Amino acid sequence: MTLRPWLRLLAAALLLAGAAAALLRAVEIRLDMAEFLPPARTEAGAFLLGELRGGAATSLVLAAIEGAPVPELARLSHALAAALRASGRVGLVANGPADLPEDERDLLFRHRYLLSPVVEPALFETPALHARLEALLDGLRSSAAPLLRQVGFADPVGAFAALAARWLGPARIELQEGVWIAQRPEGPRALLVARIAGQGLDVAAQRAVLDVLRQGFAAAGPGPARLLLGGPGLLSAEAAAVVRADVQLVSLVSGLLIAGFLLWRYRSLLMLAAVAVPLAAGALAGAAATALAFGHLHAAALGFGMTMLGVAVDYPILLVSQRRPGESAAAAARRIWPSLRLAAAAAAAGMTAMLGSGFPGLQQLGLFAAAGLLGAALATRFLLPALLGEAGIATRPLPAGLERALLALPRARAAALALPLLALAGLATAGGPRWERDLGAISPVPEAARRLDGELRADLGAPDVRLLAAFRAPDAEAALQGAERVAALLAPLVAAGLVGEIDHPARWLPSAATQRARQAALPEDALLRARMAEAMAGLPFRATAFDRFLADVAASRHLAPLLPESLGAAPVLRARLEPLLAPRGGAWQALILPSDVRDMAALRAALRAIEEPGLLAVEVKPETEALVAAATSRALVWCGVGGVLVLGLLAAGLGGIGPALRTVLPLGAALGLTVALLALLGEKLMLFHLVALLLLAGVGMDYALFLGRAGTEAPEGRLRALRSVFNCTLTTLLTFGLLALCSTPLLRSIGLTVAIGVVAAFLLAAALAPRPAPR
Amino acid sequence: MIGRRLLLALIPLGAAAARAETPLEALMRRLAAVRADEVAFAEEKAIPELDLPLAATGTLRWQAPDRLEKRTEWPIREVLRIEGDRLTLERPDQGVRRSLSLDQSPEIRPLVEAIRASLAGDLATLRRHYEIAMEGTPEAFRLTLVPLSARVLAAVQRIVLAGRDARILEIDTQEGGGTTRLRITPR
Repeated sequence: MTLRPWLRLLAAALLLAGAAAALLRAVEIRLDMAEFLPPARTEAGAFLLGELRGGAATSLVLAAIEGAPVPELARLSHALAAALRASGRVGLVANGPADLPEDERDLLFRHRYLLSPVVEPALFETPALHARLEALLDGLRSSAAPLLRQVGFADPVGAFAALAARWLGPARIELQEGVWIAQRPEGPRALLVARIAGQGLDVAAQRAVLDVLRQGFAAAGPGPARLLLGGPGLLSAEAAAVVRADVQLVSLVSGLLIAGFLLWRYRSLLMLAAVAVPLAAGALAGAAATALAFGHLHAAALGFGMTMLGVAVDYPILLVSQRRPGESAAAAARRIWPSLRLAAAAAAAGMTAMLGSGFPGLQQLGLFAAAGLLGAALATRFLLPALLGEAGIATRPLPAGLERALLALPRARAAALALPLLALAGLATAGGPRWERDLGAISPVPEAARRLDGELRADLGAPDVRLLAAFRAPDAEAALQGAERVAALLAPLVAAGLVGEIDHPARWLPSAATQRARQAALPEDALLRARMAEAMAGLPFRATAFDRFLADVAASRHLAPLLPESLGAAPVLRARLEPLLAPRGGAWQALILPSDVRDMAALRAALRAIEEPGLLAVEVKPETEALVAAATSRALVWCGVGGVLVLGLLAAGLGGIGPALRTVLPLGAALGLTVALLALLGEKLMLFHLVALLLLAGVGMDYALFLGRAGTEAPEGRLRALRSVFNCTLTTLLTFGLLALCSTPLLRSIGLTVAIGVVAAFLLAAALAPRPAPR
Repeated sequence: MIGRRLLLALIPLGAAAARAETPLEALMRRLAAVRADEVAFAEEKAIPELDLPLAATGTLRWQAPDRLEKRTEWPIREVLRIEGDRLTLERPDQGVRRSLSLDQSPEIRPLVEAIRASLAGDLATLRRHYEIAMEGTPEAFRLTLVPLSARVLAAVQRIVLAGRDARILEIDTQEGGGTTRLRITPR
């Protein structure tokens, strides 16, 4: 071999990285954050997750503009609404009172006797007609006459008025300069609502809408005004983007820091190339295993997986630093292989807990990390020594004071044992760690964004849904009929004031059966004419005054019912209906949403009493908490399984359960101390902490194994081990310490846990290492 | 039409004379000078679907800058009050009281402003909602307002305000084949 070692190393690293990159290009990369939602075990849970993943809520966009006087806010609000409409990416935009386009209004008007809730046989009998005509005459005398005349003669019974009142709805939000304005302590805020066109949680569509909003706002020349965004789908799309950006930044900065640190410690560019080879091999192995098992890769799993693989830097560091003077790289690799093999296998076994979590995203992450660690370890053992050849990299000593302190650590053995025990006892007396039960906190959406979302919702008077019910049926018509039956059974609650309102799709578009029943209630033309003639007696109406009404009723009797699919050319009507009525996995689902619930117990009882096999009612908070709790306890079980597996591996590798327990003692103590410290910092434990603890266990395993094995050696060997493990600890700290500074809860919790944990694992492993045998 | 031609002819003149007042502006200035007024009205609504016109009488009250009240005494009792952005319609005999925001009612606002902005002499607001043609002089005038909004135009085709000496005496509203004529008698 004539190539110089660093050229060989560089070529190998580039080759491996190139292969990994090519693999990633070939595999589908998914962005859908829903893969990080817990899996559902119950029908109610599955329904709730379905709504979270692709339901009506995810397509809602809430926007607010603040920081300028009202006329300027109004101008920006109109500009933003126009930009959204022009993009063609939203089904509905509203920044002021609802307004139906002319043709959609005509559609409702034409079908008024089929759609209007007031239509019933008595309405078309002489006494009712007479009363209506008198009311019309009275209205014509009033100042409201110009408005009344527009439809009063074509619809004296007021069917359209009732329909329009429902569609246009009561205005609950203050209006200034023609746009919705919410008055907040910090100043006025213009509000805007939009619904992303189409169904489902389409991250690409959400990102496109985000772009339209940002660019539209910037193009409008906002000056000092600010744009605030809400809506669960948009928030998660944005959060995913923020998480990705954070991970990229952290990877870059920590990569530079680690490179700097390694250069300082080893004074050799060769070291950087040596570290790159196992890393690239690990990335290739992780990506290949995940792609093979799942057929696709999740972007977040890939991002975190690469961060987790950062700990594989330890393996080449251990190899290089543990090499004795005069020893060849191959010989050193052979010598440390039993420990290295055991450390990597145990770390990979720990990751299996994630495979059992049931979260598709976490499963990918676990597999990626486990395969990556094993790949990196194998590359360190079999590839790296060959590439390094005879080239030597000297490990520089640590500052003398630090080395003395580290060597003296075993003297603090008692304290090292007492501290974690004390911390755990303290934690136990405080009632154990607190668990996060809110699904929202698990979401990667930052707390501030969720609070803003809640504020915007309250401003817009959007109902806060505590309980939702769904009716599933084979087709849209059956779903509408089911919603009508359920709503009729719940109507007494509304009448008694126990529930404010019950929204359901048939309120907007009645089932064809209901429409036909109303048609059947319409009198024949001759009969209605006779009744109208009677009703007009003594009133100053001309004989022909109601010709249009008569003709419209006659036409309505033979009109085809308005069906969901016939709303194709009516985007505003459709946008109202779609969130409530949509196909879900081969069936149709109608949502029934009680809002302003004053007596939850009564509503719960009423729903329970309804015997409809298609009906499913879910209370959002308890159900999501149950989902989170179930997922967490499953993860805990799998952590236990992972722990037993690790212990078994160690026992097999070290020859007995005794040495295995002695090796994991510092690690266990470090994990306990970390959990206690997290609790002390006020962190509520959640799944991501568990993931981080698993990662920590994998990293700490190296420390315990190598320091434990070196403990009985001469001071020189102990020092070599201490130096190498110290370098490993610092590289890990450089990565995860940066993550702990991120604002995203997800990254922060992982970063904080690992950062605290590696320091504890290193110090405890050094302190609790077997004492040198007295000479 | 004469008024408009006159207006057109006056534009270059006005520019040359640096803000010479048009007759319309002069009329508006004189209307604006009336800060408060109370008059009797008699209204006749002719509606094509009815055999005979509907008559009503009552009082109109104006208080600058933006308060207008139309109190109908016969044959029904009704109070229509407009103040700022709020329109309130009261039918005391039926216990009905409805209130709405003019900002939220783009189809009602122009009808309100035809009278209120005219009484206030607020030409800018009138122009926002109407194409305006003036005939005669500020002493004896006839203002024809044609709604700019297509939606309003579908309901109300034209409003003609006629009067003398800074006082509106007759308001004719043409709406879908019918005409409402409001005659004003100063008290």
